[in-house]
Amino acid sequence: MQAFAVMLLPTALIPCWYSMISRVERQVNLNSQDFHSKLHYEIENTEKFLHPINSSATNLAGVLKLSLNGTKLSFSMIETKVAPLLFQAWSTIPYLSQISYTGLEGLFFSYYTGQNQTLAVYSNSSYNSRSSAPNVKKNLSCYIQHVNHETGELYGNSIECPSLNLVSKRWFQEALNSPNGYASLETGWNNSQDLILLSSARINGEGVISLGFSAQLLTTRFTSIDRQGGSLYLATKDGKVLIEELKNTHMVLAGNMVSVQLMKPNGEKKVLGNVSCIIKDGSPRASTLNIQGTEYMFYCSSLDIVGVQSVYVLAFPQKGLVSLVRKNWIVALALLIVIITSMVVSILSFAYIFVRAAKREMHLCAALIKQMEATQQAERKSMNKSLAFASASHDVRASLAGLTGLIEMCYEEANPGSELETNLRQMDTCAKDLLGLLNSILDTSKIEAGKMQLEEEEFDLAQLLEDVVDLYHPVGIKKGVDVVLDPYDGSAIKFSQVKGDRGKLKQILCNLLSNAVKFTCEGHVTVRTWVRKPSLQNSIIASSHNGLMKYLQCLFHKSNEAYNDLEAMNAAQQDPNAMEFVFEVDDTGNGIPKEKHISVFENYVQVKETALGQGGTGLGLGIVQSLVRLMHGDISIVDKEIGEKGTCFRFNVILSTCDNVSCNNTKAEDLEMVDGSHIPELTLSTPSPGLWLRTSSSKLTVHSTPSPKVTTSHVVLLIQNNERRRTSQRFMENLSIKVSVAKQWEHLPSTLQKIKHKENHSCHNSLGKSDLSSPSGYLSSSASNNSSGVEKDVPLSSMDGSNYMLSVFKRTTPKFASSFILIVIDACAGPFLELCRIVAEFKKGLHNATCKVVWLEKPTMRNINFKHIEEDLVDPNDVVISKPFHGSRLYQVVRLLPEFGGTLQGNSSKLKEEIKFQAEKVPKDPSSSRSKPRSPPSNGILTKEQEIQEIGNSNDEKPLSGKKLLVADDNVLLRKLTVAGLLKLGAIAETCVNGQEALDLVCKGLSDQRKLGASNILPYDYVLMDCEMPMMNGYEATKQIRKMEKSYGVHIPIIALTAHTSGGEAKVAIEAGMDVHLGKPLKKEHLLEAIRYIDTK
Amino acid sequence: MDVVVQLQRQLTDHTASLFHEGFLNEQFNQLQQLQDESNPDFVVEVVSLFFEDSERLLNELAKALEQQAVDYKKVDAHVHQLKGSSSSIGAQRVQAVCIPFRNFCEEQNIEGCLKCLQQVKHEYSLVKNKLETLFKLEQQLIAAGGSFPTL
Repeated sequence: MQAFAVMLLPTALIPCWYSMISRVERQVNLNSQDFHSKLHYEIENTEKFLHPINSSATNLAGVLKLSLNGTKLSFSMIETKVAPLLFQAWSTIPYLSQISYTGLEGLFFSYYTGQNQTLAVYSNSSYNSRSSAPNVKKNLSCYIQHVNHETGELYGNSIECPSLNLVSKRWFQEALNSPNGYASLETGWNNSQDLILLSSARINGEGVISLGFSAQLLTTRFTSIDRQGGSLYLATKDGKVLIEELKNTHMVLAGNMVSVQLMKPNGEKKVLGNVSCIIKDGSPRASTLNIQGTEYMFYCSSLDIVGVQSVYVLAFPQKGLVSLVRKNWIVALALLIVIITSMVVSILSFAYIFVRAAKREMHLCAALIKQMEATQQAERKSMNKSLAFASASHDVRASLAGLTGLIEMCYEEANPGSELETNLRQMDTCAKDLLGLLNSILDTSKIEAGKMQLEEEEFDLAQLLEDVVDLYHPVGIKKGVDVVLDPYDGSAIKFSQVKGDRGKLKQILCNLLSNAVKFTCEGHVTVRTWVRKPSLQNSIIASSHNGLMKYLQCLFHKSNEAYNDLEAMNAAQQDPNAMEFVFEVDDTGNGIPKEKHISVFENYVQVKETALGQGGTGLGLGIVQSLVRLMHGDISIVDKEIGEKGTCFRFNVILSTCDNVSCNNTKAEDLEMVDGSHIPELTLSTPSPGLWLRTSSSKLTVHSTPSPKVTTSHVVLLIQNNERRRTSQRFMENLSIKVSVAKQWEHLPSTLQKIKHKENHSCHNSLGKSDLSSPSGYLSSSASNNSSGVEKDVPLSSMDGSNYMLSVFKRTTPKFASSFILIVIDACAGPFLELCRIVAEFKKGLHNATCKVVWLEKPTMRNINFKHIEEDLVDPNDVVISKPFHGSRLYQVVRLLPEFGGTLQGNSSKLKEEIKFQAEKVPKDPSSSRSKPRSPPSNGILTKEQEIQEIGNSNDEKPLSGKKLLVADDNVLLRKLTVAGLLKLGAIAETCVNGQEALDLVCKGLSDQRKLGASNILPYDYVLMDCEMPMMNGYEATKQIRKMEKSYGVHIPIIALTAHTSGGEAKVAIEAGMDVHLGKPLKKEHLLEAIRYIDTK
Repeated sequence: MDVVVQLQRQLTDHTASLFHEGFLNEQFNQLQQLQDESNPDFVVEVVSLFFEDSERLLNELAKALEQQAVDYKKVDAHVHQLKGSSSSIGAQRVQAVCIPFRNFCEEQNIEGCLKCLQQVKHEYSLVKNKLETLFKLEQQLIAAGGSFPTL
């Protein structure tokens, strides 16, 4: 439309413009014509102006005739009478160049201008014209004399000149014969032979008066007219040309036509065209001729100059205004056309582009809509799938739990060692594996469905860590991998009482640890934890070690998720108790290629090269990530130094620490029981963070600067595993304990020797100043050897670390002046007997120091058999630890030192027992407790089984005897039937007709029970609830009952009855809170089965 | 004695034919099993309850389907109840007709519903007759001093 409008404008404008232009052209034409006609008038005016001259000759003749009165003229008469008249005329008539009187007889008198002087020519001799034949030539003499131009008198000498013989000339004859005079173009009689226009008139038939006007003077009158570039051509009728201004042309008069001829340089003539001189409508007709490339307009008209009939032609070149306008007109038209065409072209192309763009946009839009629909559908599908998974969890897990329970039952009955037992054991393993797999899949679906919730509870983080690490220690040991719990800076011990989701944290740690152990063939797996203040900065860095960019990316890509995280983080920050716990699981396994660092956290992704033959669903890390994010943290893989093997997973979670008093007290009590109450110092030094958090400052300053007189204890470590040795050493050093390290058992004697030497030396000096520098120098070198590349990870300064430590371990002033040497020996580090001997030898040589030995034993290989070893080699006070030397074991060993409350000789047996006891407490098989199946404790199962047995066995008439049931059904018939059936089974049945009544009855029953003080006894053992009832349906009633019974803390089993057989009803019933769903009509077997199911649940 | 034996045989045959022709199913057996000394007329009571119930429902169904604007929800509820009670006493054929009836209800097919109503009425009267005959036989048997044949 716009295009049309734009097209319309020029089409309307062009005619307008055209008319304007033509008007201008017309005007210009008119103007030029006007000018031409004006020129004509000018010429005609000039002619008219000259007109009076025409009759001057005739008039003069008349005057002369009168004065002569017909007398015969003699020369003297002429001299006296005619000559003065002639002179008068000569001096009065303008333009006159000669004047003469010629008599028939040859008398002649004339004035003329020659050489700027007035001259007179006369002939005084006459001949008789009648007597002499005209053809006889008489030689008449002729004289020229100067004339006084004031008086007309002749003076000077007369010069004889040849006779003019004017009488014989044609104009003389014509003038003689014509009464009105005659005019013609003649040559003058002066010497220069100028052209003159001669006007002559007769006098009495005897003479002729002639007046000669200079043609040159007259024509200048015409040529002096301003012709504006026009050229004039003037000729007499008989063809004599007066003016010819146009160059290279020649005009020939032929009748009424003037033919224009072009004069070529070689003399040839070419006729260009004719110009008509016939005057129409009072103005000359214009005709156009082309002369040498220039258009000329020719106008032809006749003219009368001093009585001589002549013709003039005006030629105007056409390049004037008109041609300019015409040319401009063409150029403008061309320009206009070009503009319009370009406009049209541009409009068309624009429209084309626009249309194409619109088309493309439409295509894109359609594609986008399609894609969006597809995405939505896919999301819906995925959501449905996840929901279905999540809802299926209940049933599948229950049946699996049933399976494992049954297998366990059978397992106990089977003969030990029989094939059946083996099969059952394998079945059990398979079922548990299946349960584990299922749990991970279900967790995933639960997370996807957004149903995962945090279950906050208070727990001991240190304990949890130790449990988890201990759990995987045996598995690792089996593969030759040591699983080490690095106490790190002790911050985790300080803030060990936390509130959070214990189960999920454990799941995360278990998952990471099991992965680490699975993919590590040699070396060690280290778990370390530290605490820091939750700051946005920290969490950003922790969540992405690539820096802020990645975080921003994450923010943009999954803005919602990230935003939520951020919000949660902010929320967490507002909680003053919230602390950020950072966990690291570091292994020396195969490692993960760097490009896969992000994708390993996606579901169903496994690193192919490393996962080969290891099994698994690839869900583990995905779940871990989801769980970590649920706890407001993030997980990532920490880059290792080049050359270091393995992977280091680091994740952070926000947990709120609880340091309230009640928590502390219970904790303290617990520990008191464990640690043995007879050592008060030890009790005081329990790792209760809050206690020390409040009182730390003063006590720390006191205890952290022990007086120099007191000899510090010395610890010798002989631990095979590098990592464990390093972590233990660092931990102790942080506590300002002197530590000596022996890497191999062969080094032990020399190490011990050095210590002994020093001890004895210091003893001799009897000064407590022990040489602190020498062991520490040795230590520092060994420490730096061991801990290269790990120290960089320490976010807190070592000073902070020791502060944490010191706040946890209270230093006490030792009671004994003698130094204390603690030797921690890995029993597997060398031949046991040899080790014993070395230690015994060392002890013997020790004078002033007490020594205690802690034997570390691997749980899997019980190779320390003290019975087989000689009494003198092994001190009965030696401590044997058969569990990994970290966590609480490490702390207890530290507490053996006098500075930390240990007694010199002592109750090692007690400790031993306690440690053993702890060892017992740890589950035997970590894999079983890892995927905790939700089965009740075994004794619980047993009682239920008995019940089931009871029900199953007593197949007599009344399996439900003594049970009280409530039947809610609106249909009399069905009610009656159900009641009859129940009575048959020995139960007592109460009835009601709708949900409201059922609710009332249950409510009443419950309140009655409470009055009786037996609120745990159910008012009804089971409720059979019809679903569709008037007043209140079964679902609603169930919901109400469930709501109400909550306050009583009971759960009344409700069995739904419906005539619908579709699964949907069953689902609705279960969702409403009913336990079982049964179809109508009620069958005895079904009912019993349902009751059995409820009981087992 | 002959009368008793004859009656007993008649009763057995009749019962067998009821099961054979599909009027009743296992549920009726269970019903009979629920009857004992403490509850001697249980079956009769239940079945007469069924008759009452069914007649009421059939009447209401007929009334509901005569309406200009049929309330299919109500019809469906009635049929559902009828199906429930018939299945409770084991009136198999009545129950069977109820299933297409409900389907027609869902489709809101008035013709189908009416046809089904006729069928249900027919089946109901059949089973009612049969059961009444059965009870009559039983009464006669008791009156004659016999006891129920063991099924």
